[in-house]
Amino acid sequence: MRYALAEGAQGFVRNGLMSAASVLITAVTLMALGGALAAAGALDHVAAALARQLQVVVYVRPGAGPGKIASLRDGLARLPGVVRLEYVSPHDALGRLESQLGPGARLRGLLAHNPLPPSFVVSAARPQDLRTIADGARNLPDVDDVRDGGRVLDRLLAVVRAIRLGGTAAGVVLACVALVVIAGTVRLTVFARRAEIEVMRLVGATAWFIRWPFVIEGAVTGACGACGAAAAVAAGYWLIVRGAARALPFVPLPGPGEVAVDVVWKLLVWGVVIGVTASLLAVRRYVRV
Amino acid sequence: MLRFADVSKTYAKGVRALAGVSLDIAAGEFVFIVGPTAAGKSTLLKLVYREELPTRGAVLVNGLDVTRLRPRDVPFLRRRVGVVFQDFRLLPRKTVWENVAFALEVTGAPPRAEGRVVEVLETVGLAGRADALPGELSAGQQQRVSIARALVHRPPLLLADEPTGNLDPDTSWEITQLLARINAAGTTVVVTTHDTAIVDRLRRRVIAIDAGTVVRDEAQGGYAGTVAAPSAAGGPYGGGEGGSDGAA
Repeated sequence: MRYALAEGAQGFVRNGLMSAASVLITAVTLMALGGALAAAGALDHVAAALARQLQVVVYVRPGAGPGKIASLRDGLARLPGVVRLEYVSPHDALGRLESQLGPGARLRGLLAHNPLPPSFVVSAARPQDLRTIADGARNLPDVDDVRDGGRVLDRLLAVVRAIRLGGTAAGVVLACVALVVIAGTVRLTVFARRAEIEVMRLVGATAWFIRWPFVIEGAVTGACGACGAAAAVAAGYWLIVRGAARALPFVPLPGPGEVAVDVVWKLLVWGVVIGVTASLLAVRRYVRV
Repeated sequence: MLRFADVSKTYAKGVRALAGVSLDIAAGEFVFIVGPTAAGKSTLLKLVYREELPTRGAVLVNGLDVTRLRPRDVPFLRRRVGVVFQDFRLLPRKTVWENVAFALEVTGAPPRAEGRVVEVLETVGLAGRADALPGELSAGQQQRVSIARALVHRPPLLLADEPTGNLDPDTSWEITQLLARINAAGTTVVVTTHDTAIVDRLRRRVIAIDAGTVVRDEAQGGYAGTVAAPSAAGGPYGGGEGGSDGAA
């Protein structure tokens, strides 16, 4: 074992430039994979938070009088799954919009009259109630429009799926490239040591004894690439989260530490798998016993 | 010790190396396998240490049919069969001692077995050059190192494929004598060669192969059939140690 470790490390160091290229290509590969993983993870987190908010917004038909609004409130309250109802008057709505746009906004001075309709914010007990509440609300009189968080959630989850799929597809293609590059590098070592391999076979070393140093070289390459990729993904994510915290304060994103820990071990596993597979490919022809 | 039973070998490209070879070599024998280049001599040896598999037939080493050996058992066969080549196959960056110890190291032998290295170096007469690199040695000395390496696992069978092919006549004879000494100590030795001089001089069993078949098998043969009278004056070893040369 000590022999294998020493020889494996030596192979990695001796190949200098080619090893660096292998590490780099592995890092790029795993960055794509890690980026997709981190993005999908973060959006999953957001989707879960949205699902936890569990709200449907019901906009009242403009011009409905207080009586109609009161009966609509009763109608909404009777829908199954509703746990809370909040009335938002046009005045309140304008105030919310102003506060969302930031301190500089003075909508009241710009508009002759308030164009925003009154609305109800309906809270549900469980995510699966959102759809039935929205459908029930649409059938009530004096309802203009219903925005249910469910639809946003659906769209968000579709985006998450797309990122996962795209990231995985890009990852697979790049992984193949990394495989070829690492195999090429390890083959340099195999070639440099072919006399030794020949003698080892001759004097009765087992196939695995001969393979181990190369497997270790490949694993080291893959692991180095993975560490690089993980660092890059964590740094990129940290930058994005810092920016996002300013632009989208109400979106709850997971912390960079959390993401890094989650992504690092996945990337390490993938890096080592790619490295080892590449090495085995590289020695296959030489070590058929 | 070694038995070929109707062995044929045709390489992938259609080259027929051996055709229906049957032979028996007993434990303790010293055998020359002679024949022209590409007669199938090397193939014969490769079949013994399972570098190649025969197309047909069985190869028995110590009663074990090596053609039926599982790939993962092949290394253990090779620890029981020492092999020596024309080109020595030493590792140039390792010392004599390291080259021999390498065979132990890569087969997971316990460290104390390395006393064995000194032992085999003494056998081949190179104990004093243990720290030299192969490049600092003469061709004959390098071949001695490769013989030491082949012996380090104490194999009962030693194969030598053209061991004197790269050596001058005097050195060839020294190496041949070394192989004979190793044989005398109990190891079965099989040597392929087209070096007529050493065959004619040592007078051991000769198996001649031509175009993949055994054409002659003599208990005390010469290279080209029964040696009538090797000429001492014209022969390359004229004036050797005498005695074994026969009537001159």
